[in-house]
Amino acid sequence: MSAVMFFQDGGSPVHRLNPVTKLALALAVTTTAFAIPVFWAPLLLVLLVLAPAVVVAGVGRTYARLLPLFAAPLVISVFLLQGLFFPEGTTVLAAWGPVAVTAEGLSFAALTSLRLVAMLGAFLFLLLTTHPGALMSAMVERGLSPKTSYVVSATLQIVPAFRTRARNVLRAQQARGLDTTGLRRRVRTLLPLIGPLLLGSLADLEARAVAMEARAFGAPHRRTALLALADSPAQRVARLLMAAVAVAAVVANVVGVAR
Amino acid sequence: MIEFENVGFAYPETAEPALRGIALSVPQGQVCGVVGAGGAGKSTFAAAIAGMVPHVTGGTLTGAVRVAGRSMATTPLAEAVTDVGLVVQDPFNQMSGAKFTVREELAFGLENLGVPRAEMVERIDAVLAELGIAHLADRSPFGLSGGQQQLVAIGAVLVMRPRVVVLDEPTSQLDPASTALVFGALAALRAGGITVVLVEHKVAGLVELADRVVVLADGAIVLDGTPHEVFTDERLPGFGVSPTRYTRAARQAAEHGLWPADRPLPVLFPEAAAGFAALSERSA
Amino acid sequence: MRADIRVESLTHDYDAQVTALRGITTTVRQGERVAVIGPNGAGKTTLVQHFNGLARPTSGRVLVGGMDTAEHSISALAAEVGFVFQNPADQLHARTVAAEVRFGPRNLGHADDVVAAQVAAALAATGLTGLADAHPYHLAPAQRKLVAIASVLAMDTPVVVLDEPTTGQDAFALDVLSAVVEDLAGRGRTVIATTHDMDFCVENFDRVLLLTDGELIADGTPAEVFTDTDPQRLPQLFRLSGELGWGSRPTTVDEFVAGLAAGRAAAPPGCPVSLES
Repeated sequence: MSAVMFFQDGGSPVHRLNPVTKLALALAVTTTAFAIPVFWAPLLLVLLVLAPAVVVAGVGRTYARLLPLFAAPLVISVFLLQGLFFPEGTTVLAAWGPVAVTAEGLSFAALTSLRLVAMLGAFLFLLLTTHPGALMSAMVERGLSPKTSYVVSATLQIVPAFRTRARNVLRAQQARGLDTTGLRRRVRTLLPLIGPLLLGSLADLEARAVAMEARAFGAPHRRTALLALADSPAQRVARLLMAAVAVAAVVANVVGVAR
Repeated sequence: MIEFENVGFAYPETAEPALRGIALSVPQGQVCGVVGAGGAGKSTFAAAIAGMVPHVTGGTLTGAVRVAGRSMATTPLAEAVTDVGLVVQDPFNQMSGAKFTVREELAFGLENLGVPRAEMVERIDAVLAELGIAHLADRSPFGLSGGQQQLVAIGAVLVMRPRVVVLDEPTSQLDPASTALVFGALAALRAGGITVVLVEHKVAGLVELADRVVVLADGAIVLDGTPHEVFTDERLPGFGVSPTRYTRAARQAAEHGLWPADRPLPVLFPEAAAGFAALSERSA
Repeated sequence: MRADIRVESLTHDYDAQVTALRGITTTVRQGERVAVIGPNGAGKTTLVQHFNGLARPTSGRVLVGGMDTAEHSISALAAEVGFVFQNPADQLHARTVAAEVRFGPRNLGHADDVVAAQVAAALAATGLTGLADAHPYHLAPAQRKLVAIASVLAMDTPVVVLDEPTTGQDAFALDVLSAVVEDLAGRGRTVIATTHDMDFCVENFDRVLLLTDGELIADGTPAEVFTDTDPQRLPQLFRLSGELGWGSRPTTVDEFVAGLAAGRAAAPPGCPVSLES
């Protein structure tokens, strides 16, 4: 019913990690995958880092179902664009007029796709094993402004709530005989559906502002957090290590070692 | 504790005032019920105590609203909210939207006030138990029914332990059992010396809980008295407030000479039962 | 025009974990006034949503005037069953009350003069005639709820379902609601309402369905359904007449006072007042 649906509750060691550790992993995997310009780098990260982590977390099935779902559209468009229109391609494998499939193009598309898969995979791992509330608490603990955190969390939560309301609005109009079959009808029916949603949302905004103020959202106190976040020296060391690997990868890229 | 000094208020871009000439003093620890027809200004009145009118709504406020001696017009909201807790009418709007479980939702206000974690947990558990919603603690606030949300919205304010609690129709969507829980929680506040302003239609709960009841009509106070005085006043239906069936039955019986003119009209069951039972004995 | 509602072994699951209705079987005949009561979460709204296809059976079936609701769209069922949502924000969209009330009958394809007459009648029934040109969002919430009711009344359907019509309503609106129920029943329409207001329930409905935890645990006249309930939750006049030892249960203040007058005259000295109806 909301973004929480990504989150797969579980008691695995991965679930118990501090959200920031998992965020650091996601960022380090992404940075490294993009910094090292050889296709086996993102591939190894997916196979040797993400895959075992996902298995330990016990979310393998959902992961295997969702990752292709998110990655496929990107991979396909990358192959269409880079595979066919790569400007530096010289080894032509096939050509139709201005469109040419080149070996360089395909290789670049493969690298980019693997990088995107590594990035998506890293963040999907984060979302599947981390409660969004815990992640936000952790970020606020590390200096993210509570207002920013509120906006992010509220968007994750309220958008689905409005979707539910939109469904109610649609069904309420159907219950008054509104026929929503057929394209032309659909367009004509837009107004009765959007009206109550917008008016309802505007009315809600002010009421919600009142309610949030009443719950001390504007209070100048130093905030505390309900969710206790486990952390350990080992995790701190791990985060430093991940940061070091990511930095090293970027330096290698800049200096040109990995080329 | 709460002082209204000739308060008038109009929302932005409206000609008709929502409140007019409100003068009222609610001493500390008093429970004040507020009743009236839809559109009589009850919600505006409630929001004015909490300073939301005019701080959040805009509009023009005349006269003065003071809580604990501080003028709400000049007190920053962030300070006012530690004195006054407000439960708004639609529980959907009371949900922060930023929290993923009921437990976290209840923590929202406490986190904003910087309450230490251990105390937070203790206070939240107490409220969950008091309102009978411990079984909802790990559910998403948006996955609840309206009635369940209403209980969470009340809990979200009670957990902050303000000195004044203002509730705008907090039991409108609740069944009798949940309503009884809410009134029980309010009775506990009363016992703790908390000042309570309760906009509520349910007469039985108000009679037992409230020290006084005011009736609003067209933005003005038209009746102000003990629950018994107000709910047996014959002008009450004209203000859009329904007396209990007990009162109506006795009044109609009196019109037919079946209820002695010298006997006060009943409001709740015990007085009605005693009165009508005495009646049949007298006829014996 | 007959639109009996037959509910056969109706079960409804929200998801694998949550079952809202468990094997409900009942029939509501054309012209009945039926109140659906029960605690929060008992499945009241889910049950009535099956009557016009807003909810679909997980198993079992619901027939309205012989139509299986599973086989017809919500908009097709709208001609048979008018449904007033609990939250008017879900259904109000027009700039004026009159336009809002016109929307339903127009969708049903009635002729213009018929629509005009139905709109006028619905506005009159809900006391909104003077507010026909007002913007629904400028009205107080209680009045908005009446607009939502008028917008369904104007469709002139054989069945009218009201989901929690008493929630947050003042005495004026409750009087309007009582008059609406009476008027609909007088014209042979079926009225079905969910409510937490037990006094409103017995004053206006002649049959009560009591749901608890998704099961239909009582179905009968108010006097039959409100028997061994917690006295705190009895309709006030039921509780009072029970305490006075009456044999009958008056549903209105008028009935109670009439019983009082008759009982006083008839009761032998020393005996509790009794009255058989």
